[in-house]
Amino acid sequence: MYRFIISLFLLFVFGNGFAQETEIQNKKIEQDSIIYKTAYGLRLGIDISKPIKAAFEDSYNSGLEIVADYRISKRFFIATELGFEEQTSNEYYSNSSSKGNYIRLGFNYNAYENWLDMNNEIFVGYRYGFSMFEQTLNSFTPNVSNTYFPGNTTSPNTTADLNAHWSELMVGLKVETLKNIFVGFSISYKVLMSTKEPDNFKTLFAPGFNRIFESRTGFGFNYTISYTIPFAKK
Amino acid sequence: MRKTLVLLSLIILTFLSCEKDDFCTQNPVTPNLILRFYDDSNRESLKVVDNLYVWAEGKDSLFINASLDSLFIPLNSAATETVYNFSKNNIVNQFTIQYTTENEYISRSCGFKVIFNDVNFASNNTWITDFEPATLTIEKQTEAHVQIYH
Repeated sequence: MYRFIISLFLLFVFGNGFAQETEIQNKKIEQDSIIYKTAYGLRLGIDISKPIKAAFEDSYNSGLEIVADYRISKRFFIATELGFEEQTSNEYYSNSSSKGNYIRLGFNYNAYENWLDMNNEIFVGYRYGFSMFEQTLNSFTPNVSNTYFPGNTTSPNTTADLNAHWSELMVGLKVETLKNIFVGFSISYKVLMSTKEPDNFKTLFAPGFNRIFESRTGFGFNYTISYTIPFAKK
Repeated sequence: MRKTLVLLSLIILTFLSCEKDDFCTQNPVTPNLILRFYDDSNRESLKVVDNLYVWAEGKDSLFINASLDSLFIPLNSAATETVYNFSKNNIVNQFTIQYTTENEYISRSCGFKVIFNDVNFASNNTWITDFEPATLTIEKQTEAHVQIYH
């Protein structure tokens, strides 16, 4: 047993040795002459999560989002999303639906250091969002909290010309899977800045913003496939 | 391949996490009618009603053989009038409440509240001798809406 432990100590014994003491002097390190160029251009794509969500989720009626970004420097991209959404909010005491168009405009900063000529991104971004929509209160039952006199269900009522402005912070990634074709995923946290609310009701869902929580914040995500139209290589 | 798996599971998780996140903590949302029973000879002091039965016209009883000095009873939000029968020692007193209703939006989880406006009371005064409305609008239930003397 002791012999084993002693052997174990010996295993960690090491010595310093210098086999070569003369330094390599005056040897110039040659500059690598190859500069890896990546494409600059307009990237156009579509969010494929929205049609999938519309197919599987009953409350999500339809949605379409076109995404675009334009590279302005090594790391900065001007980015925008344009879309249409229709959603039904089915709550305990009300049923309402919102539909309308939206635009989000902002920039992405690519924080990822690429190897060689690879062109992938892990980005953070900011967007300003604006949507114009209408909301229909399909039906509601007043919350009378008793069964002695049940509440009456009331008929639909549409409010048009509603709008919402918000800011969002985004993180995501984009991977070049085939030449110039990117698959991307991003999630975003949104804060409402202002809304035009319907009379005696509230906007429960704003297109482009997603569900509005009590704290006037929201979350969103997209899954995109996009194609870069290369203008130049830099 | 692994990247796609990660992405797919993220998407699935996002869908699964769409649960109702807020619950209505306001209770009740729509106010009940509050009545307080006072002594007719001494109008400052509360007086308990014994052997009290309460039911709305054409409905089941809400209180059976109760001894109370105040009542919380719901109003019919689907109509503009609620007729209650208060029975004490087998003498029935009909009490009618007339009003207009107004729906007010509270929140996503609480929905709409009913406010009763232009409230008007009527009694056929059998065992109740008099009543005194305290308000014209029933929108909260922190204090009595009508005082009843007997």
